[in-house]
Amino acid sequence: MGKKIRALIAKPGLDGHDRGALIIAQTLRDHGMEVIYTGLRQSPAQIAQAAVQEDVDVIGLSSLSGAHRSLFPKVVEQLKERQAEDIPVIGGGVIPAEDIPFLEEKGVQKVFTPGTPTEYIAAYIKQLVTPEEVKETTPPEKISHIGIAVKSLEKTIPFYDQILGLNLKGVEEVPSEGVKVAFFEIGETSIELLEPLSEQSPIYKFVEKKGEGIHHIALEVSDLKDRLQHYRDQDVPLINEEPKEGANGAEIAFLHPRAANGVLYELCHHRKGES
Amino acid sequence: MTKNPKQEWEEAVNKTVQRFPERKETFTTSSDIEVDRLYLPEKEDEKYVEKLGFPGQYPYTRGIQPTMYRSRFWTMRQYAGFGSAKETNERFRYLLEQGQTGLSVAFDLPTQIGYDSDDPMSDGEVGKVGVAIDTLQDMEDLLEGIPLNQVSTSMTINAPASVLLCMYIAVGEKQGVAKESLTGTIQNDILKEYIARGTYIFPPKPSMRLITNIFKYCEQYVPKFNTISISGYHIREAGSTAVQEVAFTLANGMAYVDAALESGLEIDQFAPRLAFFFNAHNNFFEEIAKFRVARRLWAKIMREKYGAKNPKSWKLRFHTQTGGSTLTAQQPDNNIVRVTLQALSAVLGGTQSLHTNSRDEALALPTEESARIALRTQQIIAHESGVADTVDPIAGSYYVESLMDQMEEEVEKYLGKIEEFGGAVQAVEEGYMQREIHQAAYETQKKMENKEEIVVGLNQFEVDEELHPDLLKVDEKLERNQINSLKDVKAKRDQEIVNKTLTRLEKAAKNSNENLIPYILEAVKAYASVGEICNVLRNQFGEYVG
Repeated sequence: MGKKIRALIAKPGLDGHDRGALIIAQTLRDHGMEVIYTGLRQSPAQIAQAAVQEDVDVIGLSSLSGAHRSLFPKVVEQLKERQAEDIPVIGGGVIPAEDIPFLEEKGVQKVFTPGTPTEYIAAYIKQLVTPEEVKETTPPEKISHIGIAVKSLEKTIPFYDQILGLNLKGVEEVPSEGVKVAFFEIGETSIELLEPLSEQSPIYKFVEKKGEGIHHIALEVSDLKDRLQHYRDQDVPLINEEPKEGANGAEIAFLHPRAANGVLYELCHHRKGES
Repeated sequence: MTKNPKQEWEEAVNKTVQRFPERKETFTTSSDIEVDRLYLPEKEDEKYVEKLGFPGQYPYTRGIQPTMYRSRFWTMRQYAGFGSAKETNERFRYLLEQGQTGLSVAFDLPTQIGYDSDDPMSDGEVGKVGVAIDTLQDMEDLLEGIPLNQVSTSMTINAPASVLLCMYIAVGEKQGVAKESLTGTIQNDILKEYIARGTYIFPPKPSMRLITNIFKYCEQYVPKFNTISISGYHIREAGSTAVQEVAFTLANGMAYVDAALESGLEIDQFAPRLAFFFNAHNNFFEEIAKFRVARRLWAKIMREKYGAKNPKSWKLRFHTQTGGSTLTAQQPDNNIVRVTLQALSAVLGGTQSLHTNSRDEALALPTEESARIALRTQQIIAHESGVADTVDPIAGSYYVESLMDQMEEEVEKYLGKIEEFGGAVQAVEEGYMQREIHQAAYETQKKMENKEEIVVGLNQFEVDEELHPDLLKVDEKLERNQINSLKDVKAKRDQEIVNKTLTRLEKAAKNSNENLIPYILEAVKAYASVGEICNVLRNQFGEYVG
């Protein structure tokens, strides 16, 4: 074990609601961190000063009064003035979703909105401050395929095999997903066209809502079960908590698009001998 | 021979009905069954009279008025305020047009902590959680066109309550309304600020002095104003249990009573103007039990411990707000349902006035549409549900009555502990209540995360949704505008008079026997700002560090 993570929990501005800040402080302590709580009514300069003096690894700001747009960026500025911009700043409180991009642009690392489990925040800080101590994650091996939702395979296949000249590897029905799929090889990866088999199919709903187009990206991994367990531990939102059977006899699982800013990722594992 | 309690009640009903006739001559259900004013056990034995009694009679378990909502509904009082005084004034007029029956002012944090809008400490906070008030000019704008002899106004203001009360008095004078006829409430409850809410300025001792100064002044000059609203609301929001909410609130109430007695007031001079403010949370029957227990206990404390003689001193009158911390940012429309249940518990608990939260409050300040739905929720309970047609319909529930006895016992244990500290002020200074509340809050959070407690839409029954509802935004330019208009007021006022009144206030503050209210009123009328007045007092009293 390395040294303990030191966190500064601060209440900038005049807001007196400290229930959230106190709960976060105690949660982080329960996770073995050293936590300094500033108390109420701290100016951005005071917070930056305390962070430098206490040599903390991370600053957590809490505001429920609507002053976050003005105060959070000022804390980041004050850190810069003290050459301490390497201390990451995260924030929470009553913060409308639309303000989050603004705050991130101003240098706030991450914003947690009401309802975020405290365990998730603790895990996030550990990952942020001591990524080397969080269980080693091997990167996925390659892009296994790119999934494209279509209304009709029949109408779409000609573009891929005749215009692009790709090699059609096979067409197959995957009843568990309610789809019929066609695979085209391209280098070490492939393109998967998905046609819905019924109106219950997720692909049918996708096409209805968003139209035809790129649906998901599948990553090849060799440790699917362990990896899912590991993601669960970190509260990564998952659609499938356990592997299930996909096309081509592969084991697959989908991450929730919430995990990756709206991108749907599939993890898949092809056993040796298959591709 | 003395009259029996039931006869006393019947006589009180007759008197009340003459002044406040019941809403209908007869109340009936949809099946045309007549609804009685009051339902009683088969036998009103001693135990019944001691524990429940009759509405409008000691110990007031069944309500503080003999006919309760059969005569008049509770006051529907929605807390509002944001941005500038002029904007808030528009929202107030809108709410009054919509059938709201009292005003409730939310102030921004700089006002609540006694800083002017141009103070560096106010940076980013001006007009955010309430209206910004710097000088009397802002208060005049806030109340423009609202006749102060016709509405009652509740002001959520604590550390600088004296300043805002004086501004209200001054606006009344300008409208030609004598201070003797002003009605309303100032929160003025500093102890819960140290415990849970955080908008304190001065240390406890001078703060208690300001509070008793207000008690004394109002007893003489503003007799219809509620001089304090002793608040469990924020204690609950900070994470306490229902029992802790009642216990710490009543303990704080006793501390104010002690301070007032010590300053030379007689109990019956000020006790009738003490008001309370509770939270309505999720556990429906526990909340109803909580309100009824609080009433029963306070009556006992006032009569037995303090020897109050005036029945008005025994009555715990309270405002209720539904629990803000129970609202979820997820699936915000579900909050309307939560608020409905909570509001219903407050009504069944016999509240005198009620604020229902808006569905979007976990995300931002409420929009006009959300605020309207919140008010409609109360109107539906009042006009459609029939729960207001008989007094205290919940009495006699085996569950609720037994829950009340158990809660009462637990509350008394806490009161005993606080007394061991030497009272609420000492217990606050030693952080006792703060620790107890934090522990309860932490346990609740853990239970939620382990799904031992289900919060619909948050840890179960989630949906995929984008949280981009139509939210109220406070204009970013507001802070600058407010600072400019403060500058204008300062340029126009007679600076010499301002200086003179502030110097007189400073001198008075040094003498702990002086009542500061007349001095503050003088300064307010000279257009001295909230910040200037509070700074004079800061210099004399020092500041509390939490």
